[in-house]
Amino acid sequence: MGFSLTGTHVIFFIASVIIASAVSGVIIAVITDVTNSLSERGERVQEQLDTEFKIINDPENIPTSGSYYLFYLKNIGGSELSTSNVTFNLFINGDIIATANYNFSESSVKKDEVTTIYISNSEISTGDQTLRVVGPQAIEDKFSFTI
Amino acid sequence: MGFSLVAATAIIGVGLVMAIEIIVGITLPTMTDVHESLKDMKNRAIDQIQTQISITDVTSTSNGSNYDINITIDNIGSVTLETDYFNVLINGTQNAFSCSKPNIYPENEVYFNVYNFQETGSMRLKVVTNNGISEYYDFTIP
Repeated sequence: MGFSLTGTHVIFFIASVIIASAVSGVIIAVITDVTNSLSERGERVQEQLDTEFKIINDPENIPTSGSYYLFYLKNIGGSELSTSNVTFNLFINGDIIATANYNFSESSVKKDEVTTIYISNSEISTGDQTLRVVGPQAIEDKFSFTI
Repeated sequence: MGFSLVAATAIIGVGLVMAIEIIVGITLPTMTDVHESLKDMKNRAIDQIQTQISITDVTSTSNGSNYDINITIDNIGSVTLETDYFNVLINGTQNAFSCSKPNIYPENEVYFNVYNFQETGSMRLKVVTNNGISEYYDFTIP
């Protein structure tokens, strides 16, 4: 009987340690996942806050080069911007421009510097137009001009 | 039973301490970074509101068959501006320029020079500051 009582205690002890370890493991795993997601969300918010750009063209004089209109995009935010057809989408009067019909002069633009967007003249007709540039984290700038 | 309870409580307690350490260790740096970015954005917005320039004079002088253009700009805002990051657009096209000073302090003026400009006639000048504030000026190259 004495041995049985000790055995029962040992079994209860092992069971309680296993259950406690499992509970701790689950808590730590859940907390780690939630915290990592929070951290990633924080990085996205930080990128949103750091991203700011502006089209600085003269709206009455849009320069051309060959079969392209040139638009100057100035990075007035707090971090370097990756400029490509993937990170930026362009809209003329609300219609999206096919990625094949525009490109950037550089693959990235540092803070305070300017990059040139080349937009095929087939995308822009004459008259009053509005260009909407949507960049990383959906930050955007609108620019009204006349051709 | 008593010892089992103590052991289980200790294990869960250690687990909770580890969880708190994970929360503090990851969340605090993230919050600090976001706070810094928010502060930077606020400062940029304040600088933009307080930035204002005025183009007071534009002259052109003959340089062979081309022209050198001298642009006088006053800083009439309350922010010091970095001239290296200005942009000068004449009739819509960006032009290379040199400037007499690296910074324009409030209530000071600087001269921008565009050399070997090839066109003549009526011109529309746009000067853009490092933080995107701009000013226009119409002039004629005879």
